[in-house]
Amino acid sequence: MAKLDSLELNAEAHLLLDQPLLRLPYAQSRQTFKTAQRHLEHAATSLQKDLAAALKTAKTQQQQDPDKLVKDIDAMIAKLRTLKRKLSALHDDEKKYNAASRARISHLSELYSMRTLSDVRFERWSRVRLNRLLVDYLLRNGYNGSALALARSTGIEDLVDLHAFGTAMEIQESLAERHDAGKALAWCKENSQALKKLGGDLELQLRYQQYIEMVMGQKKLLEAMAHAKKYLGGMPEHIYGQAAGLLTFKPWQNLEPYASAYSPARWDHLAHLFLTTHNTLFSLPPRPLLHIALSAGLSALKTPACHSSQPHQSLSHPSSSASPIDRTTVSLCPICSTELNALAENVPQALHTKSIVEDDPRVLPNGRVYGRERLERFNKEVGTEKGWVRDPGGGVDGEKFRESEVRKVFIL
Amino acid sequence: MDDLKEVVDHLESTANLSRAIEDVDKAIDLLTSARDKITAAQDPQAAVVTLAQLNGPFKETLEGAKKDLLPIYQTLGRYSKALDKKFKEKPLPTAENDALSSKPSLINRAIAMHLLREGQFDVASKFVAEATKHPTAPEPTPGIPDPHDEGLTENSLGTDKFSPQQLRDHFETMYSVLARLKEHHDIRPAIEWAVHHRSELEARGSNLEFELCQLRFIALFNGCIQESSDTVGISEAPSRTPGDGPLRAWAYARSAFGRFMPRYARQIQMLMGAMSFSSNVGESPYRHQLLSESHWEAVAAAFTREYCSWLGLSADSPLYIAATAGAIALPTLLKVQGIMARKKTEWTTQHELPVEIPLPPSYYYHSIFVCPVSKEQSTDQNPPMMMPCGHVIAKESLEQLSKGSRFKCPYCPNESHQKDARRLIL
Repeated sequence: MAKLDSLELNAEAHLLLDQPLLRLPYAQSRQTFKTAQRHLEHAATSLQKDLAAALKTAKTQQQQDPDKLVKDIDAMIAKLRTLKRKLSALHDDEKKYNAASRARISHLSELYSMRTLSDVRFERWSRVRLNRLLVDYLLRNGYNGSALALARSTGIEDLVDLHAFGTAMEIQESLAERHDAGKALAWCKENSQALKKLGGDLELQLRYQQYIEMVMGQKKLLEAMAHAKKYLGGMPEHIYGQAAGLLTFKPWQNLEPYASAYSPARWDHLAHLFLTTHNTLFSLPPRPLLHIALSAGLSALKTPACHSSQPHQSLSHPSSSASPIDRTTVSLCPICSTELNALAENVPQALHTKSIVEDDPRVLPNGRVYGRERLERFNKEVGTEKGWVRDPGGGVDGEKFRESEVRKVFIL
Repeated sequence: MDDLKEVVDHLESTANLSRAIEDVDKAIDLLTSARDKITAAQDPQAAVVTLAQLNGPFKETLEGAKKDLLPIYQTLGRYSKALDKKFKEKPLPTAENDALSSKPSLINRAIAMHLLREGQFDVASKFVAEATKHPTAPEPTPGIPDPHDEGLTENSLGTDKFSPQQLRDHFETMYSVLARLKEHHDIRPAIEWAVHHRSELEARGSNLEFELCQLRFIALFNGCIQESSDTVGISEAPSRTPGDGPLRAWAYARSAFGRFMPRYARQIQMLMGAMSFSSNVGESPYRHQLLSESHWEAVAAAFTREYCSWLGLSADSPLYIAATAGAIALPTLLKVQGIMARKKTEWTTQHELPVEIPLPPSYYYHSIFVCPVSKEQSTDQNPPMMMPCGHVIAKESLEQLSKGSRFKCPYCPNESHQKDARRLIL
């Protein structure tokens, strides 16, 4: 039953989910570098120009006032100081990103030192990964408080992108909590170049929301119309029509589609839209990694028994009773557990080409099948009388059969 | 991984902005000294000379600062290449059969319960508050085009048996009992719990209560804990007189082991036998029973398992098991996805994965019957049937083979009739 190859750990293949873990700090380092380069080149050109100009004026006007020259030089020094301040700030960021890269690489390297999936270190590693995936999920949904709390309490701040999500968090919050589009619009302006390449209508939707707010106030209708003329030109026609309709239909008239435009839930939608746009921009996968891992995992674990109306018993793993104390009760299946059962309903189930049953199976007269060892151990533990066998599925008071009625069964 | 490590080493040690900043400092120094010279001389002529002399070095320094960026550029290039090499042909998995995005509240519930069972109570309540305030919008997925989602509420966090608050309290109790057990070697709260739930535990054939009492006996024997004369007030401070451990253990055994005798006679005999070696347990055949430190961990694990079973939950977090299984399964699934995309075929059976996913044996929770004739997994409608010879095939296969009359077992010469076959429950 136990296939040996199922225990081997192929670190290289196992890292599939962890690509963004390294891609993001790299992208950040790169962005930092680009910004530094831009600052430096801009400053160098302008400073050289300044110096040449100063020299020229000094040469042509022999009687020049040295004070004017000193002032020029002071201006240049001020420019250099600004440059230095900018570079130092970037240098600090750079250090942060490098430290993140280092922590992540060493976290991933740990995996390479493990040979098998049963390595205790793998379990620890995998728990860290789950926490990482959870934090990622929380951040993506804008549950920043819990994301921060989880990262702190599990000590994985270096392995998650709280920082990268930092600005995003603030903007998201300003949309969802304070119903304020200002920060988001500023962000759009900052990244206008990249956003244009990306497509999407975040900015337009934000402007539309501003328009809706103006109309909702009922006092600034003229202002709203001017705003629409200025910003909403690029809207699809039917929305533009709807925008016009808003001028006549009041919030209290509760008529679709205007009611949903007036709805405060639109802010939540905007916050969500902002996050998706932000994630795409930073090449973060569109759906949380947790979804990807979970849907694969639910399928790999799901069996017909998990959503069956019949009571099924679980497999026991005699091999895992390494402790001196015998293990009789078995762990519940994760798919059958309350947490995941409904979630797994729509995923495909695992494919099996071979039966998996306990070794040396025996069948009881009631049709239930158990491995010989488990049957014997259970009956010894509950102290069944000699010559009788009790069904472990029923516990201490389970059905009792004569030993002669228990027979061998061949499951191929 | 080593190449990546090397790149980051390089970025941290040399290829960073520190040199450019130094050069900017140098440029500032150049300008400052030139300025000082000019103010000191107060001579326009000399000022021009100073300025002209400044021109060359200043330009050089700025060019130098620009050049300082080159190593960063190169190292980042190597970083990018190393990343591409590492993740080459490993595109991020697309969540094609994502049946989850349409059920955000179920995911949120699974997460909240995971946090609770991991003992992250503060994080859990923060999470529930945030998730209730801003529910995730369900996204339609291929399987479920029109998702309907009730949203996460405090109430959805419970199980059939317990309300959310009860569940939370129960986990809190579990963690406090475990903390007493592991950190203070105090077994009493655990024993109290086991005694309180004795009937349920026994119905499952659980050994928990005996295991706990046995551990208490061992702890007393080794002098880890001390029991004062009156059995009600027990002080658990380490024994000051190391010699009397076995005596205390003996007293405890007499008071506590009586009711275990029918079921655990052998284990109790063994423990009593060990008493006679109290002076030199280390060399006795009983050293494993009495001296192993792993008892504490094992009993703590057994307690967690029983406690969770009692709550109707699996012992290990389902979310952890599923995410880990998912990471193990993904490489295989992606490979198949790739092959199918290349061959432009589609996988026909929507309800089953196209490949077998090898998982560690401990990840198989149910017995699985695959009919050796039809190669299909048994279901409620198509259960395994045992023929009189003891061989098992699926019901549908049986019907096809027999066609209502006597037929030969596909695996042995035995002949039987369909009505002789018996349904098995795996």
